[in-house]
Amino acid sequence: MTVIEKTTWIGKPVPKLDAPKKVTGEARYVQDIELPGMLHGKILRSSRVHARIVRLDTSAAEKLEGVHAVITAADTPGVPLGHGKDNPPLKGDKVRSLRDEIAAVAAETEEIAEEALRLIEVEYEDLPAVFDPSAALLDDAPILHEEHPDNIPFAYDYEQGDVARGEADSDVVLENTFTLHFVTHCCMGVSGAVAEFDAEGNLTVHSQTQMPFLYKKEIAPVIGVPPEKIRVLQPTIGGGFGSKLDIYPFEPICIFLARETGRPVKLVFTREEEFVASPTRQPVELTLRSGVKKDGTLTFREVRTIHDNGAYTSWGATTPFVIMQTISSLYRVPHCSYRTTVVYTNNPYSGSFRGFGNLQATFAVESHMDRLAEAVEMDPLGFRLKNAQKPGETTPQGMVFRTCGLGECLETAAEKSGFVAKHARYAKGQDGPVKRGVGIASLLHVGGGAKIYRSDGCGTMLKMDDYGHVTVLTGASEIGQGSETVIAQFVAEELGLPISSIRVVNDDSEITPWDVGVHASRTTFIAGNSAQRAARKARKKLLEAAATKLGLDASELDLREANVTRADTGEVLVGLARLILSLHFADKSDVVMTTEYYEPPSVAQDKAFKGDVSASYAFGTQVVELEVDTETGVIRILRVTAAHDVGRVINLFGIQGQIEGGVAMGMGYALTEHLLVEDGVVQNPCFRDYKIVTAPEIPELDMHFIETEDPEGPSGAKGVGEAPSICIAAAIVNALYNATGTRFYSLPLTPERVLRGLKNGA
Amino acid sequence: MDVVERYEAPETLQEAIELLASGDALVFAGGTDVMPQIRTGSRQLRPILINISRITDLRGISRDGTRLRIGALTTVTDILESALLKETAPVLVAAADRFASGQVRNAATVGGNLGNASPAADLAIPLLLLDAEVELFSRKRRVVPLTDFFLGPGRSVLEPGEILTHVQFEVPRNDFTARFVKFGGGTRPAMDISVVSVGVAGVVAGRALSRVRVALGAAAPTPLRATKTEAFLEGKGLDRETIAAAAAMAETEASPISDVRGSAWYRRELIRTLTRRVLADVV
Amino acid sequence: MSFEKEIHFVLNGSPRTVAVPVTMSALDMIRDRLKMTGTKSGCEEGECGACTILVDGVSVNACLSFAVECDGRSVVTIEGIRAAEGLSPLQKLFVEEWAVQCGFCTPGMVMQGTYLLSHNPDMSVADIKRGIEGNLCRCTGYKKVIDAIASALDQTRSRS
Repeated sequence: MTVIEKTTWIGKPVPKLDAPKKVTGEARYVQDIELPGMLHGKILRSSRVHARIVRLDTSAAEKLEGVHAVITAADTPGVPLGHGKDNPPLKGDKVRSLRDEIAAVAAETEEIAEEALRLIEVEYEDLPAVFDPSAALLDDAPILHEEHPDNIPFAYDYEQGDVARGEADSDVVLENTFTLHFVTHCCMGVSGAVAEFDAEGNLTVHSQTQMPFLYKKEIAPVIGVPPEKIRVLQPTIGGGFGSKLDIYPFEPICIFLARETGRPVKLVFTREEEFVASPTRQPVELTLRSGVKKDGTLTFREVRTIHDNGAYTSWGATTPFVIMQTISSLYRVPHCSYRTTVVYTNNPYSGSFRGFGNLQATFAVESHMDRLAEAVEMDPLGFRLKNAQKPGETTPQGMVFRTCGLGECLETAAEKSGFVAKHARYAKGQDGPVKRGVGIASLLHVGGGAKIYRSDGCGTMLKMDDYGHVTVLTGASEIGQGSETVIAQFVAEELGLPISSIRVVNDDSEITPWDVGVHASRTTFIAGNSAQRAARKARKKLLEAAATKLGLDASELDLREANVTRADTGEVLVGLARLILSLHFADKSDVVMTTEYYEPPSVAQDKAFKGDVSASYAFGTQVVELEVDTETGVIRILRVTAAHDVGRVINLFGIQGQIEGGVAMGMGYALTEHLLVEDGVVQNPCFRDYKIVTAPEIPELDMHFIETEDPEGPSGAKGVGEAPSICIAAAIVNALYNATGTRFYSLPLTPERVLRGLKNGA
Repeated sequence: MDVVERYEAPETLQEAIELLASGDALVFAGGTDVMPQIRTGSRQLRPILINISRITDLRGISRDGTRLRIGALTTVTDILESALLKETAPVLVAAADRFASGQVRNAATVGGNLGNASPAADLAIPLLLLDAEVELFSRKRRVVPLTDFFLGPGRSVLEPGEILTHVQFEVPRNDFTARFVKFGGGTRPAMDISVVSVGVAGVVAGRALSRVRVALGAAAPTPLRATKTEAFLEGKGLDRETIAAAAAMAETEASPISDVRGSAWYRRELIRTLTRRVLADVV
Repeated sequence: MSFEKEIHFVLNGSPRTVAVPVTMSALDMIRDRLKMTGTKSGCEEGECGACTILVDGVSVNACLSFAVECDGRSVVTIEGIRAAEGLSPLQKLFVEEWAVQCGFCTPGMVMQGTYLLSHNPDMSVADIKRGIEGNLCRCTGYKKVIDAIASALDQTRSRS
C-alpha cells in the first residue's frame, strides 16, 4: 500500500475537468449530435399489455413523403437481447408489455417520423395478462415466454451455516414482509443513440452506454455485425445511474434503421417514452425472518423474495446477487438462507439502478435491526455496534473485510447527530401533531468492483509529448460522476504535473483499452489503479532517464511542478519537457509510452455464490432526523448525518457531490418517487406527477469521511458511487418509528401512505 | 395538414376583439398552458391563432379608488412582487408564491390561469376570497362574479369571441384577514399541482369571524366556495368545537376525485385538517 | 405543423431573422432551426427547467414559449452568457465548486442563476433554493449549485 502523505492533487478539490464545456453549453450530448444526411428514428410501441399481433400493415407509413424506412421484426435477424436472451429488439408474433417495440421509422424530421407511426396499422388479439408475480406463479397463469411455461426464468438459492440451528439458538425471532416499489432513473438526458454505417459496413454508434466494450460484444449477434466492425463513441452522457448498463431494444433498432436507409439515424426518446420504456429499479417483495439472542447477538436471517421480472429480462433479474450480500454480510450473521424466485409478468422490466438491489435489501435488514434491538431492549446504536464486523474479518459468504470502517461510521454518525439521546427522548412521545424522530442505518456495498464477469479489469495507455503534456487513454467511461478528473489527479500526482497538463480520453472504443464498464462503484478503484500504475511506469522511466543524464541515483530525484528536482531539497535540476526532448532526440531515441491492465485481486463467486467478489468493501452509516406531521402524513427531513468509509478521499468535491446526489436520490426513493404501474400501464409518465427531489427540499447534510486506507485501492481509495443512496430509506423508516411508534414495511412514504398507515397502525 | 391559416399579434384590445369575432380562434399569452396542451392534443388548434401578449394595456395592477384592477396579462411574478397587492391583498401574493416555478411565474398570466379553469387553479382561491369579478369583452363588456365564472374542469362561461381582460375586487377593509394554504402532496413549496388548497377570509372581531369566505381548490369540478360552511361560521366565535364542525362541513361540501395525486379519501382528510388549521390561524 | 412567419429579434446580442412555424416552441426554434444545442430539452412540459432562456431579461421555459413571441425581443441563451474574458463569474464558480456532474441541467441552472442574480441581488440561501425550484437535477443533490450561486452573490456584494 502506498499512502501519499503530502500530496499535491490527491485529496484536493480539483475542479471537474469537463465542467467548462458543460457550463457553456458546448458539451454535446446524444440529443445534440447532427451528422450530414442524418435521419430521425421513432419507435412504435404496443398499445396492449399482452397480445398476439394479428396484422401489422406499414404500407401507408412507407408512402409518407420524407419517410426513408419502416421496419418490423421481419426485417431483422430476430436475435434476442438481454441477460435472459428473451428480448427481441422488434417483437413479431406477440407483445408482452406496453413498452414492446413493434415497428420503427426513419424519416427526414421527427415530426414526419411521428406521423408515420400514426399511419401504421396494428391489429391485436388480446391474451390474458398477469401483473402480480404471485398470480403469475399459479398453474393457470398466462404464459409469457414459451421457454418458461412456469414463468420462472431464474431462481436463486443461497445458504450459509445452518438456519435451523440459528433459529434454535435464538431467543427472539421476527418475521415481516417488505414491499419495495417501482421507481425510475430520471436521468436528465433521456435515452438515445445515433448509428451510422460506412461504405464497407463498419458501424459507428454514438451511444450513452456505460459499458462500451461489452456493448460491442453483446450487440454484435443481435445486429449481425461482427464486434470488430463496431466502434462505440460516447458523447457527453446525461446521467446513467445504471440505466445504460444493459442494451435495450432502441439501440439495435437505431442500427437497423441506419443499415436499411444507408444514412446516419438518430433515435432519441421523448420524456414520456423515457418514463414508459426505460428500465426501472427492481421492485421486490421480501420476507425476512431474523433471529437474535437475548444478549444481542444476531443468529440467523432467512429471506424469501419474489421479483417481478416484468415481460423481459434485464439486469433487474440479477439484483439477487447484491441482495444476498447484504443479507449474508451486513453485520455479523452466522446462519443465513436466501431464496429468490424471478417471475415474468406483463409489467415494465427492471434494469440496474444505483445500488442494484441493495436499497431494497438494506431497507429490510436495517428495519429488522431496529426491531430486534427493541426486542432485546438494547439501543439501536449499541445493538449494531455489537454485531458490526471488524477489520480482518471474513464473512461466511467469503467477503474479506481487509479494511472495515463500519464501527467508526456508526460511532461517528451517531455522535455527530446526537442520535442516542435524541432517539431516547423522541421515543418517549411528543405533544402536538408534528413529531420528530431519528433513525440510523448502515450499508455494506462493494467498493472495489465486482468480479461478475470473467475480467473486472481496466486498461490504460499513457503517452507524453515533447512538451510534457500527457494523454491518458482509459477504458473507463465518464458518466458525469467525475472519473475522468480522478484519473487525471492520480496521473498528475505521480508525474508532478499540473492537472492542466493531463488530457483524459475515454470515449472511443477504437482507441481506448478494455474496461468492463461503469458499475459496482468500481471506476475510481479499478480505473484509478490502472491509471496510477501506468503513470508510475512513466515516472520510473523518467527518473531513470534523468538519473542517467544527471549522474545521480533515481532515488535522489523527484518530479515536481513539471520539473525534475532533488527529492530532499526540491532544487530544480532540469525541466521535464526538456528531459523528454533529450530522451526523444538522443542517439537511442525513445519516447514515454506506458500501458497497464489492472485486474483486481477479487475472485468470482463459486456455484454456491461464495467468494471474495470485490477487491474492497465500502461501509457507511446515515442518521436521519425528520419531522412528521401526523395529520397530513408529510415527512420533512431536517438533517442527514452521513459517515462513509471511503478508504481515502481523492477529490473532496467529487466525493461530496456523490454523497449529496446519492442522498437526494435515496430520499426520493423513500419519500416521493413512485412509478405507478396499474395493469401494466404507467400512470404518471411525467415530471409533474413523478416527483424527484427539488432544491427547496434538500435537508442539511453533515458528511464525514472515514479514511480506512484500503491496501489495494489507489492511494487507499474505495469506490463510493452507489453507497450514499443505499441506507437512507431504512434510516427514514426507523426515524418514522421513533417519531410515531408506527412501523412501515413498504415504500414510498408519501403523505397519503403515511397518513393511512398511522391511522391503521400500519 | 395546416390547421392554422392566420396568425396575428394585436397590440390593442380592439384589434384582438375584431380578430376573435372574425372566425374560429385560439388565444395564447404566456403559453404555459396552451403550448403543452396543443402539443399533447388536449387543446385543438384553430384556423386563427392570436397572440395577445403585446396588448400592454392589459398588463398591470392599479388602484382606482376602492377598486383594485389587475389586467389579464399580469404575470404571476408581477403579482408576487407587487407592493400594492402586498399591502392591500397579501393573500393573493401568498398564492402567487405557491405557483409552479420561477420560470413559469414569469410567463403565466392571471387571465390564463383563470381562463384555463382548472379546479386547482392557484390564483382562483384567493380571488374567490376577495369576491373578485372578471371582466369579459367581446363586442360588449360584461362583468361576471368569479363565483359564477367556472362551469367545470377546463370550462368557464367565456364564450367564443370573448376574452378575459381584467380581474377586479374591492380593496379589502383594514380588518379583513385572509389565509391561503396549498397542499401539494409533499414538501415542495410550489412546484406541485394542488392536491387540495384551502382559503379562508373574513372580518375578525375578537374571536369571531364575519363576512366569511371559505374557498376550496382541487376539491370539486371547479374552484369552490363552501357557502354552507360560510353561513355556519358567520358571526360565530371560533372556538375548538366550531372550528371542528366547520372543517367537517367544508368536507361535506367538497366532492374530490381520486387521481394519481391523491385519493378522494385523502383529499377529504386534508380538507378537514387544513380548514381546521387555517381557521385556528385566522384568529 | 403550421405556416411560417418571419420574426426578427436580438439573439445573444446580435440581430437575427428566422422563419418559424407559428405553433413552434422557442425551444424547437433554438435547437432545430438555429442549431444551437446548448439549451436542452428535458421534458417539454415546463417541469425541469433545462430549457431556461432569458427573454427581455426574464427567465422562461423555452419549451412553453411560442417562438413567434420572440419577435422584437432580446433573447439570451446559454451561448450568450460568456463574459468578455471567457466564462461569466457564475460559470466560473460552477466549475470551481463542482456544481456540475453530468451537466445536462447545467445550462438551465446557469440561465436561472444568472436571472436570479440580476433580478434579486438581495436574496438569501432560502431564496436561491426557491429560485431554482423549477430546475431539476438528478446528479448533484443541488447543494453545490446553490453554493455556487451564493458565492456569486457574495462576489457581487463585495464588488459593490
